[in-house]
Amino acid sequence: MDTLNAAMDFVLKAFFGAFRWSPGLGLALISAAAGAGMLWVFQRTSDQAAIRAVKRLVQAHLLELRIYRDEPGVMWQAQKSLVASNLRYMGLMLRPALIMGLPFAILLVHLDAFYGRAPLRVGADTIVTMGLRGPAGGSVPRLDAPPGVAVETPAVRVLDEGQVSWRIRPRTAVSGLLRIRVEGGAVEKRIEAGAGPRFVAGRKVSSLWDAVWHPDEPRIAAPNVDWVEIRYPDARVEWLGIRMHWLIWFIVVSMLAALLLKKRFGVVL
Amino acid sequence: MRAAGGVDPARRIFAVALVLLLLSACAHPRATRAAGKKMIVLGLDGVDPVFLEAHWDVLPNLNRLRRTGDFKRLGTTVPPQSPVAWSTVTTGMDPGGHGVFDFVHRDPSTRAPVFSMAETSPPKHTLGIGPYLIPLSSGSVTSSRVGRTFWQILEDHGIPSNVIRMPANFPPAECEADSLSGMGTPDMMGTSGTFTFFTDDPAEKRTTVPAGRIVHVSITNGRAALRIEGPPNGFRRDNAPAAVEMLAHVDPTAQAARFDLGDQQVVLGRGEWSDWLHADFRLLPLVKSASGILRIYLQQAHPYLRVYVSPVNIDPASPELPISTPAAFSRQLSDALGPFYTQGIAEETSAYRAGLLNKDEFLVQSHKILSDSLRMFRYELARFSDGLLFYYFSSTDQNAHMLWGKYDDDLLDVYRAVDGAVGEAIAKAGNDTTLLILSDHGFARFDRAVHLNTWLMREGFLSLDDPANTGDEELFAHVDWSRTQAYAMGLNGLYLNRIGRENGGIVADSEVQQVKQMITQKLLEFRDPKNGQLVVGKVYDPEAVFKGRNLRMSPDLIVGYHRGYRGSWQTALGVVPTTLIDDNTQGWIADHCMAADEVPGVLLSNRKMRLENPQLYDVTATILSEFGVPKESVMLGQTVF
Repeated sequence: MDTLNAAMDFVLKAFFGAFRWSPGLGLALISAAAGAGMLWVFQRTSDQAAIRAVKRLVQAHLLELRIYRDEPGVMWQAQKSLVASNLRYMGLMLRPALIMGLPFAILLVHLDAFYGRAPLRVGADTIVTMGLRGPAGGSVPRLDAPPGVAVETPAVRVLDEGQVSWRIRPRTAVSGLLRIRVEGGAVEKRIEAGAGPRFVAGRKVSSLWDAVWHPDEPRIAAPNVDWVEIRYPDARVEWLGIRMHWLIWFIVVSMLAALLLKKRFGVVL
Repeated sequence: MRAAGGVDPARRIFAVALVLLLLSACAHPRATRAAGKKMIVLGLDGVDPVFLEAHWDVLPNLNRLRRTGDFKRLGTTVPPQSPVAWSTVTTGMDPGGHGVFDFVHRDPSTRAPVFSMAETSPPKHTLGIGPYLIPLSSGSVTSSRVGRTFWQILEDHGIPSNVIRMPANFPPAECEADSLSGMGTPDMMGTSGTFTFFTDDPAEKRTTVPAGRIVHVSITNGRAALRIEGPPNGFRRDNAPAAVEMLAHVDPTAQAARFDLGDQQVVLGRGEWSDWLHADFRLLPLVKSASGILRIYLQQAHPYLRVYVSPVNIDPASPELPISTPAAFSRQLSDALGPFYTQGIAEETSAYRAGLLNKDEFLVQSHKILSDSLRMFRYELARFSDGLLFYYFSSTDQNAHMLWGKYDDDLLDVYRAVDGAVGEAIAKAGNDTTLLILSDHGFARFDRAVHLNTWLMREGFLSLDDPANTGDEELFAHVDWSRTQAYAMGLNGLYLNRIGRENGGIVADSEVQQVKQMITQKLLEFRDPKNGQLVVGKVYDPEAVFKGRNLRMSPDLIVGYHRGYRGSWQTALGVVPTTLIDDNTQGWIADHCMAADEVPGVLLSNRKMRLENPQLYDVTATILSEFGVPKESVMLGQTVF
């Protein structure tokens, strides 16, 4: 999993680096490509003939509703058939949706590190929290920060949640590693502070399953530590003079791309 | 050249220009705007002339104004209380005109204290569903102040103005100008500011202190649940306050804790303040919630947890009550500056008075407010390009209450910071902008607290059901109204128990003047039993001293104490203690609720002033005059230039 994550991040970092001058444009291109990819997968995994047929049925029932509005019996039958056809339509969507779900979820999770989190603002504090596998009341872990980052409080052991938290504050722009020394080992966690978009790693985890959803850094090796997280501010992506959450951009652009390309791909949606 | 089949383009342009010209003229039908006139007015609450004169050398900008422009003592209002004085500046009327006579008025029918600056009305029609009440009409908050504000009048004449934090302007007067309400703006609980102090210290026995709650918590496995109360939930039949729960995770040994509020987390060490946290109070599930902001202070984690939580301020980004005009202006400020104190009087004097914060902790908190205010001032100053800018600073007043005469160096730090702001205003003003700096009153030591109701009792004007029933009970708990001619409420107000006005009143209209004269004469002879000094310098009869006749809520007499004396906190709430005068042993060591001529304010300008003895209402007349706008007939005063 670490290798797969690293490979994906390598590709995305290269792409992100190429569009550093306009992250919004880069995101739009990825979104458009994702829309085209969705269309391609949909074409190959859906029953196009059945979808075409059920859409015709839906249209027919809608027409019934308009024509026979004075005949309650026909209206009632048409409405029942309309609901049934819609359910059938949704059922036909299920297979491609399930097939696309996992790869797209993984793609989105990776993209969040590029577009979803902003680096820490220089001068603004934040919280670093480490989740432990056991109780937090034992020896006090020690947090060492790279030059330019101040650790402002002692470790706070959150006994009932098995966590340890610190408050840190970047004094300068930083791209480095926090190091936490705990019983049985040490954990390193990437930290990013400064201006401008960049790759900002989210939670660092230890388990294989968690690494699917938190893929930005190699898994934690220290036996007692479950995860480490820095609370980053949310980022907004600006493109065409509009600032929005990256996921909204992604959905809008990918849907637009899919709608524009469906005729070229010969796909019925 | 004529376009084929159309109108001559030159004519079309001329016609459009004519229409635009007519439209612009219609927008301000009474436009008398003084072309290019600009004015900056800074309100520095409580800046005292004597203190200034003693420190000119370290207040270079104020001193520069004195030398190159002018400096005068500014006559204050009767009584010299901020809501009264700033209402006079706002309207150009005396208290008899604008109808604000004290921080606290009283309801004649119940003799219960009521807030003098604004009143709220719940929705008239509601629909009950289970424990909830669905409003079918809207409630309202209205200002109790009467009269038009000077910026509304300026607006009538097309003169733009920004009026930031004007006291006694909640809810803000309706206008198109950018304005933000100041003193009188409540917290989310609807009070002038109620803090909460959480502790597991068994030695702390109190549960309430003035303007604060002390909540005892238990810590289990390092965790304590802190319940923070917000607005009374008008959607519930019982009107119970909405609340949020904040978790405090206390480290077993270190002087530090983590606080979780919603999805926000903050880690604080001992003696540290948080930044603003947002609290979302759910009022009606899935339908309505109210947003507030608060700050927390970890005084210590061990051996006992002691956490101060500020009053929950109205969130300027999503205000639950009207705090600005236009309504979106507070959000604009919040977007530009981040969250800021919206509570009218935010300096935490109450927790300091209660001994929950020490002086240094109070100073840190009050300097945070000053920093907020300076940031907003600079933002407004940078935006200012035309018309009028009014900006108000509260820090000089609230810090003086706690520092005056005892910690002058600390007070001077506040004056220095404000002097810096004055310097920025001078630079912005240049040669083409009139600059006025004013304070609403001065300051004096508050050494002795006078229990005016006890004095009335001893002089035979107030009777108890049993003479032994003096004590700390509020709201005239044991007063026998059938034998009481007068009572005191608020900090300077004295009311007669009049037939037809007070419920169960006994003083007939024909007796009013006689009773007033008797009380006045005895008050002026009232000597402090401890040192023999006269306690009262002036007794004002509102019917004689006020030109305005809006005296519905006015006291019948207003007591002007000598410097060093003031009505006690207990007097303000209708308490009849056993002692007549007590030493003031609280942190609130200075005040101004005395005789008006003993605590004048200051007026400085970058121009020479013609008036020798300017009064507060002259400031209003001056502002209007500078823009060539005539004052309204009910306004007093004249331009100082």
